Amino acid sequence: MGSVTTFQSEAPLHPAAAEFLGDAFARGWADPSKIHQESRKVALLLNEAKEVYCQHLALRHEQINFLGEPSLGFHLGISGLITNDSTLYHSAVDRSEVFAVASAIRSEVLPVDITGQYSVPTGTQSDLITYQSINGETGIPGVVPNNFAGKVFIEASPLISLPQKWSSALWDARSWNGPEGLGILGIADKGWVNPLPHNDSRVTPGSFSTPLAIAGAIALENYVSDFNAHESKIRALNAKIRNFLLTQIDDVDIAGDLETALPHLLSFSLLYVDAQLLVDELDKSGYAVDSGSACNSLNMQPSHVLAAMGLLTHGNVRMSLRADHSEMEIDKFLSTLKDLVLKIRH
Amino acid sequence: MELDCRGMRCPIPIIKLAHALKTEAIVRLLSDDPATLPDITAWARMTGNSFTRINNETFDVKREN
Repeated sequence: MGSVTTFQSEAPLHPAAAEFLGDAFARGWADPSKIHQESRKVALLLNEAKEVYCQHLALRHEQINFLGEPSLGFHLGISGLITNDSTLYHSAVDRSEVFAVASAIRSEVLPVDITGQYSVPTGTQSDLITYQSINGETGIPGVVPNNFAGKVFIEASPLISLPQKWSSALWDARSWNGPEGLGILGIADKGWVNPLPHNDSRVTPGSFSTPLAIAGAIALENYVSDFNAHESKIRALNAKIRNFLLTQIDDVDIAGDLETALPHLLSFSLLYVDAQLLVDELDKSGYAVDSGSACNSLNMQPSHVLAAMGLLTHGNVRMSLRADHSEMEIDKFLSTLKDLVLKIRH
Repeated sequence: MELDCRGMRCPIPIIKLAHALKTEAIVRLLSDDPATLPDITAWARMTGNSFTRINNETFDVKREN
């Protein structure tokens, strides 16, 4: 078995964070709220981690809530701001977790066009709108709800600044190659109420792993500096792939354009191609890619993001580009892809 | 002609549709695959053909070129 080039979204934990975690678990872990020497050290590290989050995510200390279950943050962040008078507006390309929360309250889906854009309603003060700073499948930024009268929940990314006005914001540490099982819920709205059964209505569950919270900060610092250092390289790789697809392979539907999308994600669909077959063949050739096609999903449903944008859902390939991908690797991949597509379409 | 693709998964209904349109100008496609509606929409845009959705499983497709 040869080496595998992975374009999948799951990236390994940043080495600096992995080294810290290994050390933390080896030494056992002290409770930062106690007064032993080791506990003080942990409290200090956690405080330093919070500083990193404050700086990179533009949060204030008191706005930070760590979550052990990131996807719970959708319920906490959205339902915690909903009152009896509220309507929730969310886009058709929001994550399925948003749809799940929306199904339990009064809500309205905002249809998107083929570029992923949508009109933001005016709303009332008690309404809530979601804003996805980057779509995780296509890399396309959401529409900033500047003129919305109500509250704003953000599915946030460290690569996009928070808008001036926001009420709650959720980050998953996986989005910066941090550890799994760490979410950060920022709460800016004083009216937020914990929607779960609780002892204190202002407080989130608070069950999170201290080592993961600290490792997540190490990963975040490295991710942001790596991204800034290599963005132009990643953008050039993305442009190269798009250009190849448009000129060398017929009937390709590419999501969004590079002028507006973030360069580390790319989604395209190949007409008349069975994605499962293509993903398998690429795997055999040493390339791991993701797909949003129905045949590759657990529930056999096509990607709701592609369907909502009016993009082809079969033959879909999703790639995550990283600074350690070389131009030569991309060239080899594209040549393999072209051969396989010709073979499958034949 | 009528092209019955019920029970088939994507991308087979669209492949069969494109094949049928090589000789037919109008095809009624029957398909119960959930990907068919988004895919026939995208296919029509990409290939310049047109279709009318009769119901959830029935699409009248017209070759435009």
